[in-house]
Amino acid sequence: MLNAHDPERQEIVSRRTVLFGGGVGAMMVVIAGRLYQLQVADHEKYQALAEENKFNRRVLTPLRGDIVDRFGNVLASNRKNFRILLLPERAGDVGVTLDHVGQIVPVTDERRQRIFREIRRRGAFTPIEIEDNLDWASFSRVNYELPHLAGVLPDVGETRDYPLGSATSFVIGYVGAVTDADLDAQENDEDRNLLRQPGFKVGRDGLERTYEEELRGEAGKMSVVINAHGRVIEEVKDGMTPPVQGKPLTLTIDSELQQHAMQVLATPAERQPDEPQSAAAVVMDVITGDILVLASTPAFNPNDFNVGIDPDLWRELNQSQYKPLLNKALAGEYAPGSALKMIAAIAGQEMGFNPSQTVRCTGKVWYGNRFFHCWKRGGHGVRDMKGAIRDSCNVYFYELAKTLDIDLLAETARKFGLGQTYELGVTGQKPGVVPSRDWKRRYYAGQPENQTWFQGETLSAIIGQGAWTTTPLQLCVMAARIATGRAVRPRLVRAVGDLILPAPTASLINVNPAHLDVVRAGMNAVTNEYGTAARSRLEDPDWQLAGKTGSSQVFRITAEERARGLTKQEDLPWARRDHAVFVSYMPYENPRYACAVLVEHGIGGSRAAGPKARDIMKKVAERDPSSRPPLDPREFVRAAAATREG
Amino acid sequence: MSSLILPNPRRTVRDRLAKIHWPLVILLTLIAGAGVITLYSVAEGHWRPWALKHAVRYGVAVCILVAMGLVAMRYWMALAYPIYFAALAALIAVPFFGEVNMGARRWLEFGGTQFQPSEAMKIGLVMGLARYYHGLRAEQVSHILYLIPPALMIGAPVALVFIQPDLGTSLLLAATGVIIVFVAGLSWRIGVIGVIGAGIAGYAAYYFDILKEYQLRRITTFLNPDSDPLGQGYHLLQSKTGIGSGGLTGKGFMEGTQSQLKFLPEMHTDFIFTVFGEEFGFVGAIGLLMLYFAVIVTGLSIGMAAKSHFARLTVVGVVSTFALYVLINTGMVMGLAPVVGVPLPLVSYGGTVMMTIMAGFGLIMSAHVHREHDVLKKGDFL
Repeated sequence: MLNAHDPERQEIVSRRTVLFGGGVGAMMVVIAGRLYQLQVADHEKYQALAEENKFNRRVLTPLRGDIVDRFGNVLASNRKNFRILLLPERAGDVGVTLDHVGQIVPVTDERRQRIFREIRRRGAFTPIEIEDNLDWASFSRVNYELPHLAGVLPDVGETRDYPLGSATSFVIGYVGAVTDADLDAQENDEDRNLLRQPGFKVGRDGLERTYEEELRGEAGKMSVVINAHGRVIEEVKDGMTPPVQGKPLTLTIDSELQQHAMQVLATPAERQPDEPQSAAAVVMDVITGDILVLASTPAFNPNDFNVGIDPDLWRELNQSQYKPLLNKALAGEYAPGSALKMIAAIAGQEMGFNPSQTVRCTGKVWYGNRFFHCWKRGGHGVRDMKGAIRDSCNVYFYELAKTLDIDLLAETARKFGLGQTYELGVTGQKPGVVPSRDWKRRYYAGQPENQTWFQGETLSAIIGQGAWTTTPLQLCVMAARIATGRAVRPRLVRAVGDLILPAPTASLINVNPAHLDVVRAGMNAVTNEYGTAARSRLEDPDWQLAGKTGSSQVFRITAEERARGLTKQEDLPWARRDHAVFVSYMPYENPRYACAVLVEHGIGGSRAAGPKARDIMKKVAERDPSSRPPLDPREFVRAAAATREG
Repeated sequence: MSSLILPNPRRTVRDRLAKIHWPLVILLTLIAGAGVITLYSVAEGHWRPWALKHAVRYGVAVCILVAMGLVAMRYWMALAYPIYFAALAALIAVPFFGEVNMGARRWLEFGGTQFQPSEAMKIGLVMGLARYYHGLRAEQVSHILYLIPPALMIGAPVALVFIQPDLGTSLLLAATGVIIVFVAGLSWRIGVIGVIGAGIAGYAAYYFDILKEYQLRRITTFLNPDSDPLGQGYHLLQSKTGIGSGGLTGKGFMEGTQSQLKFLPEMHTDFIFTVFGEEFGFVGAIGLLMLYFAVIVTGLSIGMAAKSHFARLTVVGVVSTFALYVLINTGMVMGLAPVVGVPLPLVSYGGTVMMTIMAGFGLIMSAHVHREHDVLKKGDFL
């Protein structure tokens, strides 16, 4: 039977109850200890974490500096870019968020993967671009749906805009997305943080790349109070440092001339309306060295690049035989052909050759063990130096070459600007090749038996064939130096910010001015005295154009082809035809502008390149940009600031 | 012996009201008051949707508590098995008729009101076990044969709740059951063996993938919160940040940035202690803990003062459920226990849990009011 007052039972329960109470009390002490640890001992740490939650320090991306031409016309600027960002930290399930966003703006699988990659790379606390360049309708729908889109931040960013598109792409270059290499290259964390901002672009090519530091500007900072969904509750006023826009860049380019030149280059020649035009042109002020035109066709549109280029377009650009990604004006290397004859004439006179001495051209010359041909089968007859330049007589120069030291020719060529690069800030310049004994030794470094220079090679070199390569930029500099007798250096940037860069003074070139006069007279005769480029003559007496044609051999016509009757360049496939060259300056009497034009596979300088140079120079003469006051960059900086504030 | 079979003197309602343990009621009211102001703060200074309802519910619950306190303990003992088995039946019904909510089947619906059998079982199990041990002599408690019924009484509801699935509540039921068995006088030897057995069972559960993925993740996240800073660990980190940033005296009423800026999840239920700790600081949080401890001590002392075995074990069972709630919840929001979704009693918003807790205290009150009763006068039955 049970005793209700079973004392043993009662005692056990009492003891155990006390034990239980003690246990609970002990655990309460543990809880209190944890409270102490969190709230008293580690309070500062959690305080900081809470502040960090509450205040979100945002980097304010600076506007990139504008790039303008010499008259202040905008070549590169910024435009509004409606985009949606994702803050992974706040999104919870990123996949679900992207599904929701995808119902408003299509999010491709490719883009999804890219977003997940970006999250892994940049971490959960940096906003990632989901989609940019949205139209207004989609952008406002995203804003409307925002309460249901965790972690999504709509944002109005800025993107680079090139209003002249492909007309200036080779001058300015373009901007592109930040790569890991870019991040590694940054000197401090602040810069790295700026580069991590969504949609931040850095200069990838051209001036955009060279002047990255100046154009980028300085990041600003802002502290905002945000809630868990990333929504800004309030901006902290004194926590704000406004960003500083990058410095504007003022170029020497005349954008109107530049566009005109691009158009002229792209226009097919009259006799070959279906021929593609792969060409380059450079126009410069021979006094200041200001490059007014730096054109190359076909050209890519830089606006296609800064929003992420379409892979198909990229492939097309890369594979085209007209090389739209190559800046032919300074990265294309071509033999100068007969355009080198001015250098040959100067070197000859320096050697002691009398310019009035005549040579009889019979169409060919025997030297060494073979014939050297003139371009005119029957020969030119008797020519002095001026006449030989006018008619581009090869035989005259072959005679000169028989006694000319190749090293003297090379030295003269260098004095006049060939074989070197210039500090323009544009990437990819090529130095070209100036053949000389030294060059041959270096070229055949491993083969001592091939290092000897033969005089026969000088006969090829003197008409600008053989190993020679030059760029249109170098040829333009050559024309400018012949015109002025001064070592003019080209330049592309007039001012950085409000700092005007003075035009470098050009020293006199150490040649006899009388020798130069002969060459100039010869060039004048080419266009104005029924020489090889008579059709490229400018009728305006104030702007007498002096020039010289050239053709740059691409492939020799083989004996087998000659036997088949294939002697005419026109019969060859496009890619095997000679390049056409034309160098010129004006006015003849008081030179101001020099111009070089190259037409790839254009066959002859007089036919393909000369007329283009004439059309470009005609417009140059009309505008005469050097006579007009260029923009004072300080005014430009002020004007830009006023527009922004207004 | 004759004095033992004399009927207890009948008392009037007025007499019994006078014997109500008013300090306990005041303690509970203070705790519920802390809940009301915190819920007011969570709602950014609004009585709706939580604070007002919480206050009203508590008011109703206090009336129920007092009413239950007036009912003599012998009636509760008579109802013990019926309540236990009714709750068990409801639990069995859940998989067949239950409502699915958040991936788990936990609710039954009765004429428009939802009812969670696992909550009823918290009271039912306490009463059932107390009733069972009421009929055992001291030496029988540790006898292996007499251990089988309580093992089944605990095991059945624990298993049923576990498969709902509701890991938190099933562990809570198991712990409460074990505590009652222990307080009833289970020998230490069997206790140690039981603990070892539970360890093996736990490992087997892990090994054979019995836990759902989210349950496992809660445990792994608890063990290493930084492994998943944006998932489970994110909430825990934000919770710790909230409490820690409160400091000694707190950020002030309605000034908690973590809560007001909604960095915390479930602020009105499971994570309400974080809000309280952030706004009222170490001083406030310790104060709240002391209120809880005072309730626990008061409860246990009522239990020890009661004459009947049933009353004593019922009181310990209710107090242990209450204490486990407090310890697991506060431990959970501070990273000392896995995030298993246990509310803070009387502070967290939620009607069912409040009713369960207050009904439990109603039993304690009855034990206090009728502490002189030994409830055996009607003879004993097992």
